Amino acid sequence: MNGKERLLAALRGGATDRMPVLSVCQYATYELMEKTGACWPEAHYDGEKMAALAAGGATVLHLDAVRVPYCQTVEAEIYGSKIKDGGKKQIPSIEKPALSVDDVPVIPENFTEKGRIPAVLDAIRRLKQDVGGETAVMGSIVGPFSVAANIIGVSALLKASLRKPEKLAPFFEAAEKTAEQYAEAVINAGADAIVIEDMMASLDMISPKAYRELAAPYEKQLISFINKRVPVIIHICGKLDQVILDVAATGADAISVESAVDVREAKRKFKENGISTPVFGAVHPISALLEGTEEDVAQGVKKSIADGVDAVSPDCAVAPDTPIKNIIAMVKTVEGL
Amino acid sequence: MAENILEKLKQTILDFDEDAALDAANEALAAGVDPVEAVGALADGLNELGDKFERMEVFLPEIMLASDAFKNALSVLEPEIKKRNTEGQKAIPVVIGTVQGDVHQVGKDMVATFLTTAGFDVHDLGVDVAPSRFLEEAKKLDAKIIAAASLMSTTRPVQKDLIDFLEAKGVRDNFIVLVGGGVVTQEWADQIKADGYGQDAIATVEIAKKLLHVA
Ligand code: B12
Repeated sequence: MNGKERLLAALRGGATDRMPVLSVCQYATYELMEKTGACWPEAHYDGEKMAALAAGGATVLHLDAVRVPYCQTVEAEIYGSKIKDGGKKQIPSIEKPALSVDDVPVIPENFTEKGRIPAVLDAIRRLKQDVGGETAVMGSIVGPFSVAANIIGVSALLKASLRKPEKLAPFFEAAEKTAEQYAEAVINAGADAIVIEDMMASLDMISPKAYRELAAPYEKQLISFINKRVPVIIHICGKLDQVILDVAATGADAISVESAVDVREAKRKFKENGISTPVFGAVHPISALLEGTEEDVAQGVKKSIADGVDAVSPDCAVAPDTPIKNIIAMVKTVEGL
Repeated sequence: MAENILEKLKQTILDFDEDAALDAANEALAAGVDPVEAVGALADGLNELGDKFERMEVFLPEIMLASDAFKNALSVLEPEIKKRNTEGQKAIPVVIGTVQGDVHQVGKDMVATFLTTAGFDVHDLGVDVAPSRFLEEAKKLDAKIIAAASLMSTTRPVQKDLIDFLEAKGVRDNFIVLVGGGVVTQEWADQIKADGYGQDAIATVEIAKKLLHVA
């Protein structure tokens, strides 16, 4: 099996020759930039550079999937949030949110022709051409809850989630609609799967009740739109134990979790409830990948597998100064088992 | 009576109720409650909520709103405390920011508001702040305190860079350097010879006051 066949089989609940290994979230590192000759910040804006750097995931790291983009600000930028460029070292981030909670969001026209989306689509087409025969090509979009956070600001969103949640609905609805448009364009560009990163919908930020009422319904709506055509991996940061069944109920084809999550317990609950959603994870990006030795990485992989993951992936985004030998060690460990 | 009001103050924090906190603070002053004790009761509430946060019984939005409630109550209690201490002292300038390479903002903002409420003249430099910028602004504003946040193991070393930079410029002793943020610990603060470490916003205010020898 090649990486693409392996990952897609895992996402569809089929048999695989070995466990898939990928990085659900971003995996570009400074070393990978050196090796591929495609660096930040250009790789955030230019489709060719974006693809060249991402392709290193296949050619250098030997992951089963590649993915673009590298940051989580593409959608919010089109809504008018001011973006701070991260230069060579960092990913772009939100400098100033576009709107306040009391504003009414307006869905930008021709959403998928704006901002950096054309570059992302171009990168996906190129990746499809260059490495897509063997490797799954994934487009990553930001979940509606997190897009809303990037449009009105994290603090404002969090406070409103308790005090006036009804004010937030228009933001979630708009973000869900534009996410559908974006996802459709990504699929048309050739993506084999879509990652939804909804990092603000984490219990590090909101309560289980808020997750159920404000984040999950829009994730679910978006997923049911996308996975008629391609499978969806949902990634939410943090310790999700209290809502793991709710995350499964979004209908995602796989759930990517951090090592803070009790995977064993999650699997037990799934079994009890007749849920077969695969769980991906959970090699720690800091203590194992960034700061650990290859041996620490191997331990992390083995622990994740022993706990019952269905594919191996870092917990969350890989830090850009991570040594690539550690990412390769993650892949090698899986291959060697 | 005073006991009741103190309980009430604490409860407004546990209920993260901004309006009730303000009312209770006014009520406390009207009833002649010692404002220092009143602040203590509020802090108890925030600490209790903090423990629940650790246990994942309450979540970040509750903490943020409780901080707002705390801030509201302080806005009437602090002036009273100041009046009793020293008459008409000039607010002490502080520069605060999240270090270069780090864009986490939420916790730093909380610390900035608490310091402001505690009567400091806070200048928030935002996120991704280079050591040279901390110094530049601190000089310009004649700041006594430089407060630097870092949320990631990858940006924590920048707190050390900041201190080394001040050292190299020969101005280290002109400033009290406070460090804090998710990955920062007292040991780290000691290791890099920071003047103080703030575990949370309340602790940061306390350490700032202690280091400046103001009440
Ligand atoms: C929200 C968040 C984000 C948001 C930030 C939004 C914003 N505008 O602030 C976004 C999505 C942008 C983000 C991005 C990233 N993040 Co982040 N993020 C978080 C998260 C979930 C919460 C942080 C938070 O706000 N906490 C709540 C506040 C109230 O707590 P606090 O900041 O610690 O502040 C308190 C104290 O520390 C203290 N304090 C704070 N500041 C100061 C300052 C001084 C001077 C003092 C004395 C005290 C003090 O007082 C505060 C109140 O009690 C944490 C996980 C977590 N649970 O902490 C991860 C986390 C901090 N992020 C992490 C990472 C890795 C990243 C990314 C690299 C991921 C990526 N590749 O995309 C990027 C980095 C971007 C960058 N260059 O900075 C890691 C860091 C890991 C590590 N050990 O290094 C964490 C720990 C998640 C994890 N478990 O892996 N993140």
